[in-house]
Amino acid sequence: MSSRAFFEVVEPGLETCVQELPGRIGHWEQGFPPSGPADAWSFRLANLLVGNDREAAALECQFLGPTLRMLEDGVIALTGAEMMPRLDGAPVALWQSISVRRGQVLATGGGPTGARMYIAFSGGIDTPPVLGSRATFHMAGVGGADGFAIKAGQMLPVGTAAPHVMAHQVDAGLRPQIETGKVVTVEVVPGPNDDWLGAEGVAAFLAANWTVLAQSNRTGMRLKGPAISFAPRAYDKLPEHGQDPSNILDHGYPIGGINIAGQTPIILLQDAPSTGGFVNPFTVPSAALWKLGQIRPGQQIRFLPVTLDEAHEMRRRQDRICTAAQALKPL
Amino acid sequence: MIYEKPRFYPAGDRFIEVELGNEMSFSLNIAVHALAAAIRAAALPGIIELIPEMASMQISYDADRIAFDDVTREVERLYASASAGDEIELDSRLITIPVLYFDPWCEACIADYRRRVTDKTEDPELLCALNNLAGRSHLKRLHAAPEYWVAALGFWPGLCSLMPLDPRARLVAPKYNPPRSWTPKGAIGIGGAITCIYPDRTPGGYQIFARTPVPIWDREQKLPAFRESLALFRPGDRVRFIPIERDEYDYIEGKVNEGVYEHSVVDYQKFSMANYRRWLSRLESAA
Repeated sequence: MSSRAFFEVVEPGLETCVQELPGRIGHWEQGFPPSGPADAWSFRLANLLVGNDREAAALECQFLGPTLRMLEDGVIALTGAEMMPRLDGAPVALWQSISVRRGQVLATGGGPTGARMYIAFSGGIDTPPVLGSRATFHMAGVGGADGFAIKAGQMLPVGTAAPHVMAHQVDAGLRPQIETGKVVTVEVVPGPNDDWLGAEGVAAFLAANWTVLAQSNRTGMRLKGPAISFAPRAYDKLPEHGQDPSNILDHGYPIGGINIAGQTPIILLQDAPSTGGFVNPFTVPSAALWKLGQIRPGQQIRFLPVTLDEAHEMRRRQDRICTAAQALKPL
Repeated sequence: MIYEKPRFYPAGDRFIEVELGNEMSFSLNIAVHALAAAIRAAALPGIIELIPEMASMQISYDADRIAFDDVTREVERLYASASAGDEIELDSRLITIPVLYFDPWCEACIADYRRRVTDKTEDPELLCALNNLAGRSHLKRLHAAPEYWVAALGFWPGLCSLMPLDPRARLVAPKYNPPRSWTPKGAIGIGGAITCIYPDRTPGGYQIFARTPVPIWDREQKLPAFRESLALFRPGDRVRFIPIERDEYDYIEGKVNEGVYEHSVVDYQKFSMANYRRWLSRLESAA
């Protein structure tokens, strides 16, 4: 291993954590969720800008970013939400490669729009993988920097960087466009349990604006809106399904599932529980999950139904964009 | 009921919910595990992982390698050949968990809830009343009698849903309402007809009445049982609870803290559905 301490945490920010793609795969049946970045589009672009594989481990900053002191020369890149980054006091831009020198301090703060910024380092963060991944699962203290968000005083290593990292930027048209207005449109595929709402319940759910509550985090995004109505089958069921119309016999929970707990929709995010006893009438497709990663409490979501084929096409388009050949141009 | 054919529901572009029925029963759950074993053995390219549950499973797939329709066709085919009922034989480890019944930590937790939230009937007494048991010693004897089947895991890392394999030991209880804000790590509880072991100090809703000193998950992977994973159980394992006294509890806890405790795991057995059904019918004719 040629990994070396690359930066020291001066200020950790708010729950700043190491994430990696595709996340922790293969242990979901024992209750370990995939984890991974909330906005995988921005995350992958940050890695490409520093010459890494697009899935390499990098930092996810949430609402309030960290301050880091560089311990080596190298290349970094910032993408996602604007959090007022400064290098030794001078503002630096997102969406481009940035050369850093040993001793320089990257300071970030809070921003007016979006929720998550990514910081990638040439070589990729090289903390020890746990159950096959470096992704942090805070709730159980698994992966990342000793299991949790980064802490002041920690020194984090990176792996071997590509020999010559050319300075690049991401074409403005290929960056995710973070919605700054009141209402964010988020695609959903009906299912797996849309039949528990029935045609009327589905139509009413899709016609509403849903306000994002502050009680949201990497496990789930809580929403507030009108009353949810259910189909007759939600009431006429065997007792092992539970008493509430939103209850179903315990089943697996998909990432992106819109989980109905009583009358509260909770969108299941990357650190969500693996199973539970509430229905999931809709699922946000993988290519739209990044939007959830950038929504702020108080913004509203309007759900737009798409077909499974459209969801696959959205993912393929995003996968094509997130390649060095497509996304990068010389700076 | 158990459906004639699996039902498939898309859950976005990466997951599929497969329902095999809509009831909580052992025969349905073992059909889920038999199908999961068949899917794993088939090693289909593009199938990433499975979450088997009570009556269903979630399949993660990579649609750039296998199409939705191909997943459903392959799974239907595997189900038709794997679910020939009595022929099901699954690898099944037997894990023994030492348990102190009516331990002081659960008692303190129940007392705390009754003082702060609502003056409910104490959990062991509620279980006795709802299941027509003579008292705590009857509850302990009955709960420790059967082998339990790990029907599913999840919600929290390592949290297991256990079904008694002996129908005479079936105990039922409602969940706490409102839920508890904390539960002692290692507490044993019953909710619905399911026994669980709390992997950590977490909120909870099951009626609690016992505690094990043995960890069932360990993020630091200190003990030998956690070399391969952070969680002890896998779906399809069997569990047996062995009642212990307080001095034994303290001794085992000491071994755990020293990092030298070895879990009792027997991994040379198979679970045979045919033999199990024969045993069940002998029970019925005796009754």
